[in-house]
Amino acid sequence: MNPPCPTIAKYLLLLVSVILLSPLLSTPEAQAIPAFARKYDVNCTVCHTRAPRLNRTGERFLENGYQLPGTEDGGTTKKFRLGDLTLDDVTNYLGFRLRGNALRTVDYARHAPGTNIDGNPEDRTEFGFPEVFSLFTAGTVTNNVGFFAEIESNLEEDETGVERAFLTFNNIGQHDWAHLRVGKFDPSAYSSYATLRQQFELVGDNSVDNGSFMLPTMNRIGLTPAAFASKFHGLFDRSGTAILPTDPSLFHAVAEMGLDIHGRPFGEWFLYQVGILNGANEPFGDSNNPKDWYVMTRFDVAQSDYFSANFSGFAYFGSNNVKVSTMADVNWSRYGFATNVRYYMVDIYAAFVVDHIANLPNSFNNTFDETATGLTVEANVLATDRLLLGIRFDHLDAGGLRTQRTSNSLLALIAKFYMRSNIALFLRDDINLRPAQGGRTPERNFRNAFFVGADVAF
Amino acid sequence: MPFSWAPMWHFRQPLQLKQVMLCGGIMAYLACSLPIWALATSPPNQDESVSRGKALYEKACLLCHGKTGKGNGPDAFYLGAYSAPRPRDFTEAEFKFRSTSSGELPSDEDIFTTITKGIPGFMPAFQGLSEADRWDIVRYVKSFSTLYQEAERTPIILPPGPLPATTKSVSRGREVYALLDCAKCHRPQTLQPGGLYDMGELRDRRDLKILPPDLSSPSSFKNGHRPQDIAQSILTGLDGTPMASFRETLSAQPEDLWHLVNYLLSLSRSP
Repeated sequence: MNPPCPTIAKYLLLLVSVILLSPLLSTPEAQAIPAFARKYDVNCTVCHTRAPRLNRTGERFLENGYQLPGTEDGGTTKKFRLGDLTLDDVTNYLGFRLRGNALRTVDYARHAPGTNIDGNPEDRTEFGFPEVFSLFTAGTVTNNVGFFAEIESNLEEDETGVERAFLTFNNIGQHDWAHLRVGKFDPSAYSSYATLRQQFELVGDNSVDNGSFMLPTMNRIGLTPAAFASKFHGLFDRSGTAILPTDPSLFHAVAEMGLDIHGRPFGEWFLYQVGILNGANEPFGDSNNPKDWYVMTRFDVAQSDYFSANFSGFAYFGSNNVKVSTMADVNWSRYGFATNVRYYMVDIYAAFVVDHIANLPNSFNNTFDETATGLTVEANVLATDRLLLGIRFDHLDAGGLRTQRTSNSLLALIAKFYMRSNIALFLRDDINLRPAQGGRTPERNFRNAFFVGADVAF
Repeated sequence: MPFSWAPMWHFRQPLQLKQVMLCGGIMAYLACSLPIWALATSPPNQDESVSRGKALYEKACLLCHGKTGKGNGPDAFYLGAYSAPRPRDFTEAEFKFRSTSSGELPSDEDIFTTITKGIPGFMPAFQGLSEADRWDIVRYVKSFSTLYQEAERTPIILPPGPLPATTKSVSRGREVYALLDCAKCHRPQTLQPGGLYDMGELRDRRDLKILPPDLSSPSSFKNGHRPQDIAQSILTGLDGTPMASFRETLSAQPEDLWHLVNYLLSLSRSP
């Protein structure tokens, strides 16, 4: 049995070396150039605490359909008219992001799920940059009509496609009363702790697909916030593809097809959001009828003294949105709370989420746990103008097939050095806090992962 | 363990798309009809203007400048973090960008101009707000300090200019640059920020490290890069920063101001 962190001293030495050497690579001036920064002629830090995380201004800009908070400037700022068309310089619409791990070392034990067979320990060090390349275009067509489209190429998974694409119709009725989003979007974008724009990038599972409605062989779980994860073993989307327990899903999906409305009709302190989606992993088409729907409310308090806080609660109601191995439809729903507190250089997030499966066939009564929970707590500290330190704790109490499900607790650490506000180098380490169990359950076979990477937006 | 309260959140019959669309239609109709009565407004007066300005401020400005106008909004720290700039503290009524003398309050037009043009790098231009809206915000911003009721604010008058950027003018500007010891903070020979900043000695009024502008990049000049904007910055200084007013020094030979402006613009990397 391997110790949890066999070469931690080596990693720490590397971390210190990179942090000490990083200033040699940097330039003295902090500038940011991605599309919105170009359009409004401002630094990234106007809308981000440190990219990619949004600050309040960035959140309001997003809510307002890519228009400055309090304005409806989609048809005016940096625009010119050509007949009926409102045009803009194309560089104010286009941006890209390149991110990945130049080096990663992952330590886990392969295993045969549901058996007592121990697998072989794996301690791999790989070079891999870049893993994800995103090309996006976003902005406004005219006043109160915005758009966003993102094409993502995941080189590790060998997949390229439209990650998100949607239109926004903003300020319907009165300013900030109702904003409509339609297309393929991330539902949790306006909540206190959103799935996307994480300082800790989502790291996918390592598994082998064994066919439609067959359990996959789980080599290693993914490294995603436990609160956002699927949490269940033994669920399949409607096409028969396994939904892995650490895939972000439902309200916290990276992207789903549907429409939603949000607004702040009573002032800055309260935000509502209601939405309807095709369902978990539903592509184009209408195989899931009826639909899933959700409601979220968010309360913002404290807006002075470098302090702000907000908390949000949501409920997501799934209807026949997933299947179990017998191909029977079940209802997968989610309820939860999230909060974000920010004071000077400290930025804290937390989310607690409960998932529940209803309408489970009787044959699963004693073999399937219908409830799962996830807790994620994260703190970031901007230690200097350029150095961000972060820590995240995840506790996953997985549900689903009792032969596989168990709980796990992970701790992740990150040091991120911003050469410029749009170019960051990072070191990250993820540690399993629970004792290893010989690789018989996916939550426990993972031991440690170490990453050195970069995140560049332009 | 079964999740006991979950079933109460589910409908007996699953929600159909038609039902959702019907509810959505009713909500959309209500949302569109409400503005009809909301449009009725009485003629504007000062109090109403301040009140409207407050509402706009809380949406567009509060996140940086704070609810109390002290420049300590929720996003204020992350703007420059441990370095300048931080958002203006309106209660102190100290403004960098003014047409008035150093130490004086800005004119209403100065505040209006900053809202309209923004500050390159740190504050977007709020041209998307109507002119009336921007004036409402000006009135609300002034309400944070009682000094506006008493203090005199007289815009300074620039000497006639600008002058043509001839070789002779640029050459004289270089001499003025040396005479005023501008290189103490700005280093034109390397076309990079430097001087005292490199030693960490340049600090603003909040004791934050402050970066002098890159003189080879006029578009980054926070008070604008037209010759008139640069001349104004030299004469008025930027209150709260180490950039002093050179109005007295240049009063003997006013045309030197424009020679200096021509020299500074000649450092630009762009043609």
